[in-house]
Amino acid sequence: MNIDFAPELEAFRSEVAEFFATAPTPAIREAGRKTTSVFAPFDQCMEWHRILYEKGWAAPHWPKEYGGTGWSVEQRFIFAEEYRKADLPPLLPQSLGMVGPLLIDIGTQEQKDRYLPGILKGEDFWAQGYSEPNSGSDLASLSCKAEADGDDYIINGSKIWTTYAHHANRMFLLVRTSNEGKKQQGITFLLLDRVDYPGMEIRPIVGLDGFPEQCEVFFDNVRVPQSGRVGEENDGWSVAKHLLKHERGGGNAASPTLMRYLEKAQEAAAQTPSAFGGVLANDPVFQSEMGALEADIASLAHFEKLAISGHEIARDPAFPSMNKTMNSELVQRASTLMMQVSGVDGLARQLEALRVGSNVEPLGSEFDLISMPLYLNSRATTIYAGSNEVQRDLIARTVAGR
Amino acid sequence: MDFSYTEEQQMLRDGVARFLEKTYDFDARQAVVASDAAWSEDAWSQYAELGLLALPFAEDHGGLGGTITDCVAVAEFFGRHLTVEPFDSSIILAGAAIAASSNKVAHAWLERLMTGDAIAAFAYEEGHGTASPDLISMKAVASADGYTLSGEKRLVLAGQEADIIVIAARIEDSGTLGLFLIENGAPGLSVRGYSSVDGRSAANIRFDGVDVLPSGVLDKDAAGLIDQIIAKGMLVRAAEAVGAMGALVEMTGEYANTRKQFGVPIATFQAVAHRLADMKIAYSKARATLIYTTALAESGAASGRDMAILKGQMGKLGQEIGEMAIQTHGGVGMTDELSVSHYHKRLLALDAQFGSHAYHLRRLGQR
Repeated sequence: MNIDFAPELEAFRSEVAEFFATAPTPAIREAGRKTTSVFAPFDQCMEWHRILYEKGWAAPHWPKEYGGTGWSVEQRFIFAEEYRKADLPPLLPQSLGMVGPLLIDIGTQEQKDRYLPGILKGEDFWAQGYSEPNSGSDLASLSCKAEADGDDYIINGSKIWTTYAHHANRMFLLVRTSNEGKKQQGITFLLLDRVDYPGMEIRPIVGLDGFPEQCEVFFDNVRVPQSGRVGEENDGWSVAKHLLKHERGGGNAASPTLMRYLEKAQEAAAQTPSAFGGVLANDPVFQSEMGALEADIASLAHFEKLAISGHEIARDPAFPSMNKTMNSELVQRASTLMMQVSGVDGLARQLEALRVGSNVEPLGSEFDLISMPLYLNSRATTIYAGSNEVQRDLIARTVAGR
Repeated sequence: MDFSYTEEQQMLRDGVARFLEKTYDFDARQAVVASDAAWSEDAWSQYAELGLLALPFAEDHGGLGGTITDCVAVAEFFGRHLTVEPFDSSIILAGAAIAASSNKVAHAWLERLMTGDAIAAFAYEEGHGTASPDLISMKAVASADGYTLSGEKRLVLAGQEADIIVIAARIEDSGTLGLFLIENGAPGLSVRGYSSVDGRSAANIRFDGVDVLPSGVLDKDAAGLIDQIIAKGMLVRAAEAVGAMGALVEMTGEYANTRKQFGVPIATFQAVAHRLADMKIAYSKARATLIYTTALAESGAASGRDMAILKGQMGKLGQEIGEMAIQTHGGVGMTDELSVSHYHKRLLALDAQFGSHAYHLRRLGQR
């Protein structure tokens, strides 16, 4: 066992920190500070994506021949740590973290050539059409239908909880192509070149935090080419499961983001009076809670580092589900702590002040501006990408050998 | 980064695993605990034969020059088999203190510790969780011919049987922490022996003006050394905890898959299944933290915070896993006959020593 602490790594850290200190525009920085979700403000996020692409750093977790950086595990963590320290908006996961790695793994050469450059460069943004109104945890029961017609499919039905579909220019989705046999057997995975095909309609849904992050997508006789199919017709479930591994056990570490939340809560608590006298940061109960949370975030970081370095712990079939469960529940714990530190000062509804480029000054601190929306938004983490109930079912199977 | 065991470490693990599987199943272990002996002399001499007792000592001292990773690699199996031999106290703690001392006279003990011929105890805890060496209040007063020790040490593992005892005490005039060595049976010692809940032989020891000769003065300013020794002890015991946790997760999964109620295995009930999932998540966290912290320590980069994370997580996750294992086993989980409760008690014992998780986690939160 060893961990590299070579001096070159410190030089790398300085190089990354220097780039993060100079390359982002003020609007990108503002978007980073005002990110209250896994999904950062769209326009600035994509602008930052393109800047990172120019530097060659858009997809550190991709294989080098596809535009990855070829960094060591140490370098990838340094990059992620500096990224969070600089409070920059995280890049959106659907393209770089899901459909991109999927196409690298199992796309045709034509699909790779056609789509990977746009994903890597940040020219395209892909929406993920999985859930439907009646198919959430039981995703395989989905009914949005695609019927073959010549070289095309004709799609009818709807998708829901399609994050940022109103910003997307492309979409990947699961459709039902057969009702024969088991429900998993009649599903097909499609790539849509556009989201403005005749008969497609996208309607944003305002979330509990006041923002239209999620969407509904309706398909009324939408004709799309069959060349967008990944894998075989009716074999989309195995494609979808493959993608879910990337989504749940993502190549990018979550722990630096969590540590950043913890630091913000800690800084705010040092300025917040405790009802028992002194400041909250010195309250023993708060300290115990902070310490327990930090230790759990550290354990997730250790888990992630082992996984990224190729340790056998990541070859456990339960790994993606364990990773997703730990990560999502820690986001909730950290944001709950932040919301509690803000207390009354987090109760003002400040949607306009949260908008990037707004000239409305926040009422209190920037911490109080984001803590409540972040808390509210993070209720989704244990629901999306397969609810944690579903994840625990999957993990339990590997314990009981069922 | 590389977190895998080397081929040599893997061979060492295989050897220890094979030996313990053959000779140290739960029934054999319970027979040892129920006997008059404090531990299995056979097992102890086998550990010596396998080289385990010489593992962490430098080659200059006649040891094998093993690293902390080597020790962690084998200690996992001590946890899995709930061993009761004093590997931690005699080799990892007291042995390390003697080896680190510049007192050459004391080094004469090392060879006997490595052959298993002599046992050393580490008298550190003073009750109510001596969470930090700063809390040590046992006094060492300079005398004409060395030092005189007064105070009480608790839960000294192998304290009755040990040939020698290494003691951490505060030196009165300097206020520094010292490490001292005495032979068991020295005048002024009162040893009250007992068995711990997890099957170890332990003792509370009163020191009423116990004289330490110059040959027994190991270190007069040992705060840093004590931290290092305890850090190693925490890692080795964390490995033991992870071994115990892994055994509990496996046993509980198996049980839930075979025990039937309402005509079906209880693992098919979601409430039970989700507890199994939580056990595996907790175990995976503990294991990842053990491996990562071991790699850090191997690179000489494990900080006080890293050790607090390790100790805090092992204690907290270990207790949680033990409680979930008992609940899933139901009535039989409550019995002395089944190993489940014994694993749980070992995990509780590991938590309580060197500061409980409540201490270490709050310390982390103090920043």
